[in-house]
Amino acid sequence: MNDNVLIEVRDLHKGFGEHQVLKGIDTKICQGEVVAIIGPSGCGKSTFLRSLNLLEQPTSGSVIFEGKEITAPGTDVDRIRQKIGMVFQQFNLFANMNIRDNITLAPVKLGLMTKEEAEKRAKELLERVGLPDKADAYPAMLSGGQKQRVAIARALAMNPDVMLFDEPTSALDPEMVGEVLGIMKELARDGMTMVVVTHEMGFAREVASRVMFIDEGVIREENTPQEFFAQPKNPRLQEFLSKVL
Amino acid sequence: MQQFIDEFKLNFIDQNRYQYILEGLKNTIIISLLAVVVGIAIGFLVAIIRSNHDKTGHMKIANALCKVYLTVIRGTPTMIQLLIIYYVIFASVNVPKLVVAFIAFGLNSGAYVAEIVRSGIMAVDHGQFEAGRSLGLNYKQTMRYIIMPQAFKNVLPALGNEFIVLLKETSISGYIGLTDLTHGGDIIRGITFSAMMPLLAVALIYLILVMGLSYCMERLERRLRVNER
Repeated sequence: MNDNVLIEVRDLHKGFGEHQVLKGIDTKICQGEVVAIIGPSGCGKSTFLRSLNLLEQPTSGSVIFEGKEITAPGTDVDRIRQKIGMVFQQFNLFANMNIRDNITLAPVKLGLMTKEEAEKRAKELLERVGLPDKADAYPAMLSGGQKQRVAIARALAMNPDVMLFDEPTSALDPEMVGEVLGIMKELARDGMTMVVVTHEMGFAREVASRVMFIDEGVIREENTPQEFFAQPKNPRLQEFLSKVL
Repeated sequence: MQQFIDEFKLNFIDQNRYQYILEGLKNTIIISLLAVVVGIAIGFLVAIIRSNHDKTGHMKIANALCKVYLTVIRGTPTMIQLLIIYYVIFASVNVPKLVVAFIAFGLNSGAYVAEIVRSGIMAVDHGQFEAGRSLGLNYKQTMRYIIMPQAFKNVLPALGNEFIVLLKETSISGYIGLTDLTHGGDIIRGITFSAMMPLLAVALIYLILVMGLSYCMERLERRLRVNER
């Protein structure tokens, strides 16, 4: 692990009314790391991920991104989010636009690229995710796996410094999981910093540089995938792994 | 047959009585068109304020005002609203009846359009909103480029329905002494003491107007639906 910290999380709490979902999370995510987050459903792993780009506003604690505390009042959150790509379980492609416009909308409207530059970039990205002929199609015409690949391309179009994946393959038919994981693997190989909430233990084992187990709102254990899967120390993790592996 | 022709002649041809119908039709169309514009403007504004408040918690005062507006307009009969605007609000100022009418019907329609549009905004999956925000688009950009186009498409059928209701509702304009289509027919009936012809003619013209309107809305709907394969 190098020392180039990209995201630092300090004592993060999040509650919905009475219900405490996150009960104090501390961690650092360094440049180039691929962190896989696993845990039972309802444990707070998605909430934690969504706190990193403030789609969930933490109740207390802080998130520091590239040296700046983004949870501080008055932060230009929109600006920060431009550097944090996000891929959702339900894809969330913009249903009213074709694939090209899905990818070019944000960079163009935010003034980061001209329309021509953005379209050229969209073409490259669509080639990269293996869908060069889908630029004019609408989201409703694509399969789940194709949608998720477009969603990845859309996030990449902003040239983010980190990519967050919120169970990117959980809504996919089994035969489409591979194509999405394949793209994510390539991204990881190219050095993209990634935080991935996933149920794909194979992906966590093979691609992640660190695996994190969240349970009942706290990080119970984190380790390299080899150690994590071979010698889990936390009893809750042992129990969890015995169920899913 | 001869009787039919005589009736027709009596009601529409003699002394150019058809001109009451024409005059009324003209006013009905003008009132409806302008009221639709006013209604859409108010409706979208109110819907955007209300859903902004629901999503972000901002604009508390504006939201409260909108709620009062919706409650009052939806809670009282259109005709009473028209009479109040004419006899109370504009009592001391000399405003053309046509203006009074389109303001009254526009204000009325706006309340219904607002709730229709708001339901359309709420029906757009929240994930669309989150995806927009996660890319760094601000609230306004997300609403404008992603949410509103989808909301508009969602509500088009309901909006078309509202326009039809509005068009027919203008038939109460006679209560402020304005010659709309209905009132024009009534004038003829008052002169000729023959009820069937003028009333049937008026009904037929409303029917044709509504059918034309429905056709236009259907075409718009079809055009906006290209992106759903």
